[in-house]
Amino acid sequence: MQAIKALGAAAPSTMLSVVKKGAFAPVVEKIRQVHLPAPKPNETRPYSPFQDATNMAEMAVARLDDLLNWGRKGSMWPMTFGLACCAVEMMHIAAPRYDMDRYGVVFRASPRQSDVMIVAGTLTNKMAPALRKVYDQMPDPRWVISMGSCANGGGYYHYSYSVVRGCDRIVPVDIYVPGCPPTAEALLYGVLQLQKKVKRMKTVQIWYRK
Amino acid sequence: MLRQPLTRALKLSSPARAAPLAARTFAAQPPAPEKFEVFIDDKPVQVEPGTTILQAAALVGVEIPRFCYHERLAVAGNCRMCLVEIEKSPKPAAACAMPVMKGMRVKTNSDLTKKAREGVMEFLLVNHPLDCPICDQGGECDLQDQSMAFGSDRSRFTDIHFSGKRAVEDKDVGPLIKTIMTRCIHCTRCIRFASEVAGVDDFGTTGRGTDMQVGTYVEKMFLSELSGNIIDLCPVGALTSKPYSFAARPWETRRIDSVDVLDPLGSNIVVATRTNEVLRILPRTNEEINEEWLSDKSRFACDGLKRQRLVTPMMKDSRGNLTPVEWEDAMVAAARALQDCPPGKLLAVAGDLADAESLVALKDLVNRLGSENTCTEQYFPLEGAGIDLRSSYLCNTKIANVEESDFVLLIGANTRFEAPLLNARIRKAYIHKDTDVAFIGPKVDLTYDYTHVGDSASILKDLASGTSSHEVMKRLESAKRPVVILGADQLKTPEGAAILAYTQELALRLQDKLEDKSWKVLNVLQRTASQVAALDIGYKPGVGPVLQDGPKVVYLLGADSGVVSRDQLPKDAVVIYQGHHGDVGAAMADIVLPGAAYTEKRATYVNAEGRAQQTLAAVSPPGKARDDWKIIRALSEIVGERLPYDSLDEVRDRLSQISPALVTYGNVEDNNYFAQARALAQSLQKPVSGKVDVQLKQLEDFFMTDTISRASPTMAKCVQAVLKQKQSKY
Amino acid sequence: MSLGKILALDKLTNFFNALRQNGGIKGSLYKLYRQDELKDGKLVGEDKYGNKYYENARYFYGRNRWVEYNDKVYLNYDGSQVPAEWFGWLHYKTDLPPHQDPSRPKYKWMADFTENMSGTTGQYVPYSTTRSKVEPWVPKKAA
Repeated sequence: MQAIKALGAAAPSTMLSVVKKGAFAPVVEKIRQVHLPAPKPNETRPYSPFQDATNMAEMAVARLDDLLNWGRKGSMWPMTFGLACCAVEMMHIAAPRYDMDRYGVVFRASPRQSDVMIVAGTLTNKMAPALRKVYDQMPDPRWVISMGSCANGGGYYHYSYSVVRGCDRIVPVDIYVPGCPPTAEALLYGVLQLQKKVKRMKTVQIWYRK
Repeated sequence: MLRQPLTRALKLSSPARAAPLAARTFAAQPPAPEKFEVFIDDKPVQVEPGTTILQAAALVGVEIPRFCYHERLAVAGNCRMCLVEIEKSPKPAAACAMPVMKGMRVKTNSDLTKKAREGVMEFLLVNHPLDCPICDQGGECDLQDQSMAFGSDRSRFTDIHFSGKRAVEDKDVGPLIKTIMTRCIHCTRCIRFASEVAGVDDFGTTGRGTDMQVGTYVEKMFLSELSGNIIDLCPVGALTSKPYSFAARPWETRRIDSVDVLDPLGSNIVVATRTNEVLRILPRTNEEINEEWLSDKSRFACDGLKRQRLVTPMMKDSRGNLTPVEWEDAMVAAARALQDCPPGKLLAVAGDLADAESLVALKDLVNRLGSENTCTEQYFPLEGAGIDLRSSYLCNTKIANVEESDFVLLIGANTRFEAPLLNARIRKAYIHKDTDVAFIGPKVDLTYDYTHVGDSASILKDLASGTSSHEVMKRLESAKRPVVILGADQLKTPEGAAILAYTQELALRLQDKLEDKSWKVLNVLQRTASQVAALDIGYKPGVGPVLQDGPKVVYLLGADSGVVSRDQLPKDAVVIYQGHHGDVGAAMADIVLPGAAYTEKRATYVNAEGRAQQTLAAVSPPGKARDDWKIIRALSEIVGERLPYDSLDEVRDRLSQISPALVTYGNVEDNNYFAQARALAQSLQKPVSGKVDVQLKQLEDFFMTDTISRASPTMAKCVQAVLKQKQSKY
Repeated sequence: MSLGKILALDKLTNFFNALRQNGGIKGSLYKLYRQDELKDGKLVGEDKYGNKYYENARYFYGRNRWVEYNDKVYLNYDGSQVPAEWFGWLHYKTDLPPHQDPSRPKYKWMADFTENMSGTTGQYVPYSTTRSKVEPWVPKKAA
């Protein structure tokens, strides 16, 4: 805890004061950046990533965020978007060996009930409008995991006339899982990375700072 | 005086070339000779005597393959690809050189014709390397296409082990043209172009039979401002573009029709782009302006569009260094400077490459801020009629009509470098119509012979008053269609007003005496692509008087010719530069707003004859650069003087309010009020004593004249090469 | 077969073993909170980041080797915190842990292991190696 404070606290708090004084936009951008300082091995890592509160109120909203994020990351329901061979690996993480259910990750067949979309496989030009439509139907907050080379950047079919060169041209992607196809283990790691990312969300804090 | 090259002896009068001219009302043509009927593939066609079979076939839509024949060049008849069978003729004849005779029956599709074509094609291919996969002409190669269409489907060439194919050493003809002479099929188009159009008799053939070579005999650069055209003319890959070599295949590129802005003529061009990058520029046929040629600067300066670009707004920081900032910051700073500026102390200067849309937006903004100081860099005398009458600053004869003239008087206008394609027209008239040319100014090489009248301005005065005893006077008086071209550079001098007045007097005196009342004599050749539009919109030419006042804010719209410099401005003046290249203007600016170059925006340009044309956006502006008129529109909103147009169409509506001629694209209006301009100029005919001088005297001066060509490495190489060639003993 | 086995009393023994090994009731509850699992096993080794590696052949293959992350990372553990030298042992690529394997190459130029830095300022950011198509103008610095 001390170490993280020593690392990160100095810079953000000065930035924070600049924001409070209403200075120019780039600094606000930096503050909003969800990046944490790079961890060092053998140093204590507290549960909450928000350790730079300067007063009690900020401390309180930070804890509210922690609570909110804990809830969100513990029940991320993916919308399946199996498009190709990656979908077979995606089935594996639902099966007993990897058992994604233990992370509260349960496949839903409806976009309206899901939080995260796993784009598993080659996204073709013809499928792209459907993908976007499904994404638009998901309620906020929503995340996208791009699974496999084809979804990441077109992959093997990058030069095909009918393939979208990466699903990030259609929807904003949070996690890219590399591989062709990625193993179920890799996808599971991707889900865990997304959990980490969710843990850094600053919903209440940004509302408060406004 | 033998003007035509020897190949011209074969030349037949060409109705195809005469056709566009026949449409003109003033052209007092001799009565058309009686037409007679010939049959092409049993289709009857009425033709004039002297028409070739190839031209007659084109009239009924029958295309005959050809390599050496070109409509704008003399007939050579040496490739034999156009062989056709003629009934009752013992052997096939070359269609390009064979005049039709009454009742002639031509078969372009018979067995004999096909066999002849296959045979010719086979001979051509015997010595042509099969390197199409690495050849830059691949995809736009006449030999490729025609061997597919007319060649044999199998090869009899087996002699690869014994003597092999002919190999020819490559020639070095400069930094623009790459030669792979092994591919040459000896069509001699390049030779004919060089001697007829470019006026450089350097190319020729040496040897005969298999030893025949096209080249310059000694190693020599092709010293012409039109050299790039032989790349287009070459039917094979023997002459290809050096800057474009191995860059792209024609089918990969996207072609966008546009207009050139690097000289005042506004040549029509095609911009070939791929992946948001301008790869090359090709000419687009427009009989009224550039025919199908293009000057080297317009063609090869396009790599300057990728260098020295302004890609982000910049502002001077506390240390006086220009640093990149966001648009928001730059705009707010610029708006603050404009707001704080006392009304009379605001100066806007438009540069060489400014388009009409941004010109009108800037003028409207400056006027709304209470200033009338919108100026162009080029000066034009405001005395007399000044810029109120359009006839006094345009090429009234029109470019295409110059080739109809019978006497051309150039006053301080080195057309060869100021407007190369106008010069090509004059040369065409000189060769085909026996037009004579006289020149007032320093001795320069115009690629054709001319009568050098002298370089003193007083000669002009004598000519204007009719008191000159020079033989040119007599020639002018007796000419049926004289043309007088005055270079705009002469007007910068203190005597400019008088020179213009004398030129108007001379031209209109001649014009009044003409039988052909629609013929216009007076031409003022502007130097830049923006000048005519700027004067039409109401910009004041020249910045001199306003600079004396000590402006507080100077808004440079691409003004890079160094007319305004820091030394002339008060210490606390704010300079805002909007443009696309970092050059003189950006270097002295406090705030830099990156704009778009002519290939990146849809914009209007008016050429020297007053013809409005528009460029189309071929690529998007680099980085954070934006369309010029949009920048000014956005700025106006921040300043608090919102300009009343939100779309390009609305800006053009505003342009048409000012002058409808600015938006009637492709049209050129006839000008009137010559007599009034002359009358107003009478009082200005003061004695003149100065010399008439031209800015661009040598070929090396031609290549780098504006921000784009100054940023172009190819143009820099050209200058180097020309200087090196001048050192050479050849 | 002993009576204990028949009555499944050895399961009870194992449970108490695990309880003891993980530091009593309080310690075991903490372990359960942290890693959702309570196992007993032989400590095979510990890497320089403080992660402990265990093995117990009694468990099903695939679960008989495991890692307990350094206490300091608390809940922020991540598969990428297992260094490369232990990765092979943990994934059954080898049965020899690094400190018992004499054939492991060790050179001065070998980079230190880092965990996945994504989401932190230490993350890898890809960059384009192609030259930009447009060369921007660089203004002259004032003297």
